Amino acid sequence: MSRRVFEAAAVAGTGALAVRQMLSTGYLQDRRKANSRVAIIHQASYGDRLDKTLVDGLRLFNLDLRGKAVLLKPNLVESIPGSEVNTNPRLVGAAATAFLTLGAKTVLVGEGPGHQRDTMLVLAETGLETELRERLIRFVDLNRDEVVKVPLKTRFTGLEFLWLPRTVLASEFVVSMPKVKTHHWAGVTLSMKNLFGVVPGVAYGWPKNPLHWRGIDRSILDINAAVPAHFVIADGIIGMEGNGPLHGSPRNLGRIVMADDPVAADFSCTLLMGLNPRRVNYLTQAAEFLGNGAPERIVHLGESLPRTVAPFAVLPEFAHLRL
Amino acid sequence: MMRSFANIEIQRLARCRLLEELVRRRLPSGDGWSHRGTQFGAEPTALALLALHSGAIVTQEGASPLIARQGADGLWSAVGDEMGANIWASALAVNTLSSLGAERATYADSIEALIRSCPREAAWLVSLKFRFLDRRVRFDPTKYGWPWVPETVSWVAPTAMALIALERAKKRGLVRGSELQRRLRLGTEMLLDRACPGGGWNAGNAVVYGVPLRPHVDTTALALLALRPLYDLPIVRNSLRWLLRNVECPSAFSLAWMILAADVYKDVGINVSPAINSARDRLASLLEDPRSIGDTSTIGLAALALGSEPKNNPFEVEG
Repeated sequence: MSRRVFEAAAVAGTGALAVRQMLSTGYLQDRRKANSRVAIIHQASYGDRLDKTLVDGLRLFNLDLRGKAVLLKPNLVESIPGSEVNTNPRLVGAAATAFLTLGAKTVLVGEGPGHQRDTMLVLAETGLETELRERLIRFVDLNRDEVVKVPLKTRFTGLEFLWLPRTVLASEFVVSMPKVKTHHWAGVTLSMKNLFGVVPGVAYGWPKNPLHWRGIDRSILDINAAVPAHFVIADGIIGMEGNGPLHGSPRNLGRIVMADDPVAADFSCTLLMGLNPRRVNYLTQAAEFLGNGAPERIVHLGESLPRTVAPFAVLPEFAHLRL
Repeated sequence: MMRSFANIEIQRLARCRLLEELVRRRLPSGDGWSHRGTQFGAEPTALALLALHSGAIVTQEGASPLIARQGADGLWSAVGDEMGANIWASALAVNTLSSLGAERATYADSIEALIRSCPREAAWLVSLKFRFLDRRVRFDPTKYGWPWVPETVSWVAPTAMALIALERAKKRGLVRGSELQRRLRLGTEMLLDRACPGGGWNAGNAVVYGVPLRPHVDTTALALLALRPLYDLPIVRNSLRWLLRNVECPSAFSLAWMILAADVYKDVGINVSPAINSARDRLASLLEDPRSIGDTSTIGLAALALGSEPKNNPFEVEG
């Protein structure tokens, strides 16, 4: 075992033990379901069949969406021509239509990019503005939404509360729509890391630096405990490997991952990336109380996880994540 | 020539619509403006006041909603008054009060609080960490400006706005002293240090893991406004060139900041004025229906950018 792997295992293990201690003392509430459902769906491109794939995929979960206000939270960072940085706008548009088709009362799309202050510029340059306009779907800039002071149920960051957008809190069904990517500070960025984007820049700045100082892993845990996503649709059709989240290389995975549990979704996506979710610190801790990481508690509705995967390229400091 | 007059008229009408929309969006009881919805926001209030002041719709008495939200420490929250100090919002508020001609006593404490506000890397231990242990982002922690909120590190936008507010206050004789000079020097050095290698600025991470990141239009404009006295430096000239290549930007927010920044460089002789005219044409075309614009700050900024009064740029640090 290399020093790096040992250190990562030690950090993740210590964190997981601390979480178990907190659970045993009643400080943390165990929110894991008996079983979580994940569907890995083959989809080679962002072409015409995407709308049907989304509806068919959602039907596998038999969700009760009737009368619900749905919020789709894609991952928009900034537009870099030729780079697969953002959740593909076609996938976001197709998801919006699919939720309406399946009975949702309303569908909104919301995002608060972390570095680019001009959210509407990101929207225009990525093509999402056009996609949503054509489908008559409204967008909310979560960086400048009305905010509500929300007491935290967990204290991984030491913060007592977070300011969060009213639109997110008013939504009855929050869908995290990450791009499947490596991340130069968190290892991987998937549905849980994607929720950094609900934290409003107007309160925390661009980037959301107070959370960085409290620890990215710890912030991911607190945010996801405060605003759990009800569902995940991960864009793994073309992911990003290497120096993500901005300057990595495109990686064709040809998969959409849907799940009714963000932790189970992120475990499955990490395995699809050929990486070990048990070595991603925040995932190990999240699997102790927020959602399911154990294979025996994850039911696969679509394809099974492949037996072998060529691992995503990672920066040297994350080499220990490889399976 | 006829086209030019027509475009000027289109811009004038667009600006009128924006000012009307600002008046319409004023919160009940005259309690300032909100980004969206009904919560007081320091930034939309400051930008709305500057825009309405430029249109002679509010006078210095109109600044009262901003003054009323000032915290006991002299600083402003970004939203409401419970959120804690926000340096960007505070610098913008100070500059607004000063531009509107409000009584100096109403913001004298705020200027002092801005001068005292230091980012984390001002502490020697944190500076050492960034110099020797954490080198993933390339920057010199001995050159620091201002953070977005206390207990975090310097970023480009709040640093630029703090420099603009303090430089303008200094020029009006509202503040002086060696500590002011030291913070102005350090802040300026920080902006120069954080510039992207080819010119322009983003949030403040120019090179990460050895990879240069792309500049953003709005932060480049803000930094250029703050660095106007240093136009002779190659990085400032390159950044202006980069900015002017973005006149086709599809967003009103970035375009408005670009126009306001380019406006203070009109005399440098590299075709700045034609670029401003093109950007104003484009901005006016994006603003046919101000009600469709979600963020009130964008409306205030756009109204300022379409204003035609010379020497009335509230972010100009020279002149």
